[in-house]
Amino acid sequence: MLIRVLKAEMIKMRHSPVWLAFLLIPIIPAFMGTFNYLNNLGMLENQWYSLWTQHTIFTCYFFLPVLIGIYASYLFRLEHANHNWNAVMTAPVPITQVFMAKLMMGWLMVMLTQLWIGLLFIISGFLAGLAGPIPPELPVWLLFGALGGMVVCALQLCLSLVIRSFAVPVGIALMGGIAGLALLSQGYGIYFPYALITLGMRANDPAAPMSVGEISFLIACAAFIAGFCLFAITWLKRRDVVTG
Amino acid sequence: MSAAIGMEVLKTKGRKIWLVVAVMMAVQLLWAGWAISNKDANDLVQGWMFFLYQFPMLNCIIMPVIAAVVASRLSDVEHKGQTFKLLETIIPAQRIFAAKFIWGSIYMLGAALGQLAIMIGMGFVLHFGGPVPWGALASYLFFTLVVSLTIYIFQQGVSMFVANQMVPMTLGLIGGFIGLFSMFFPQGLQKLILWSYYGVLMQVGMNWDQTTRATDFYWTAIDWSGLGLILVFFVLIYGIGRILFVRKEV
Repeated sequence: MLIRVLKAEMIKMRHSPVWLAFLLIPIIPAFMGTFNYLNNLGMLENQWYSLWTQHTIFTCYFFLPVLIGIYASYLFRLEHANHNWNAVMTAPVPITQVFMAKLMMGWLMVMLTQLWIGLLFIISGFLAGLAGPIPPELPVWLLFGALGGMVVCALQLCLSLVIRSFAVPVGIALMGGIAGLALLSQGYGIYFPYALITLGMRANDPAAPMSVGEISFLIACAAFIAGFCLFAITWLKRRDVVTG
Repeated sequence: MSAAIGMEVLKTKGRKIWLVVAVMMAVQLLWAGWAISNKDANDLVQGWMFFLYQFPMLNCIIMPVIAAVVASRLSDVEHKGQTFKLLETIIPAQRIFAAKFIWGSIYMLGAALGQLAIMIGMGFVLHFGGPVPWGALASYLFFTLVVSLTIYIFQQGVSMFVANQMVPMTLGLIGGFIGLFSMFFPQGLQKLILWSYYGVLMQVGMNWDQTTRATDFYWTAIDWSGLGLILVFFVLIYGIGRILFVRKEV
């Protein structure tokens, strides 16, 4: 059943303009980061690692939370339109699977975005004329960044489920990203979903091990995801839908 | 016109748009608090200038989002209910456009006033050095409002024209990000980008000493040609947006 619901989600996303955001938005921080790196070569001496800090500083705080916010809003857009919640809730599909399919679709998009970000990083590095091999840690940074992104995706899906507007959850995502910057600097990053992307991608110091430890990070991700899924499924089960 | 604005007020009742503005202001307050928290007494002497430098930078990203969200909230209610055709049978299309602009402007004014309150409040609490630069603060309010309303009218035009609210939202966000980055651009190029005018109309500049890593702020001359240009942009965007909306088959 879950596979069939997932297929339905894929059909909804086919030819959707959200792919335009997927392609275009990550190009901006890649361009900004590379430009910043090339203008500060005197201070940024660590080649690929320095370039990574410049790319991720914009990506993690501003772009990725917003992009995931757009994905989540889009995933619920069709249900909020017209009277489609009535059709969804009366279909012979368990509520849990309806939400899980959306979550998996969102996660797939997050992982594809991470791959695209990695590719843009490599292209930017070569265009900037960086010598030396590509950091072997890159797949780990991207993977942990994706895990942080999955937490944000689960949270944004909850927001987009509750708030029947496309724009408001996206605005909240941006505010979350900015607030994450402040909370991370105070050492509370692991307790704040939006800061997990930054922690996972090692945006502040890619050469050093993760500041909070991998195990703590994974536990935090799992706890947040479980909490958000529980909230969304309970909400769908207990609350009557609002249509129109 | 007052009836049309009254309708907008009723339509937004209970839609919690003020809550969105309040959340954005809370983030701005959090940011300001965080930015000023690592300043010592010597730095606080330049506290007013520090804020007048920091806030426009943050506005490049925050105000376009507020504009996009407000414009989207005021427009998607019509798209969802397919009420534009009904409305146009009782109110001329240009009046609907104007009423939505006026009501949306109130939210933008609220956000700008909120920022000013944060700056003044923190300035008094933290005892910034020197007299309060009331003139510069008033100019800041005016410039912020002019740029924000221009961005808002752009967002309103797109939100009313395109039913899928993902499009105006993405455009607004990309614009905001380019606006933030445009601070690195040459001034001529900066002035071509709507979202970069928070930076163009900044009243404070910053010197950064690479060796000591110390910052020093200084007052800069107001870019009057920039102000003139953004006003021209406003008139143009308002005119084009209104023509497109009036001619649109709803």
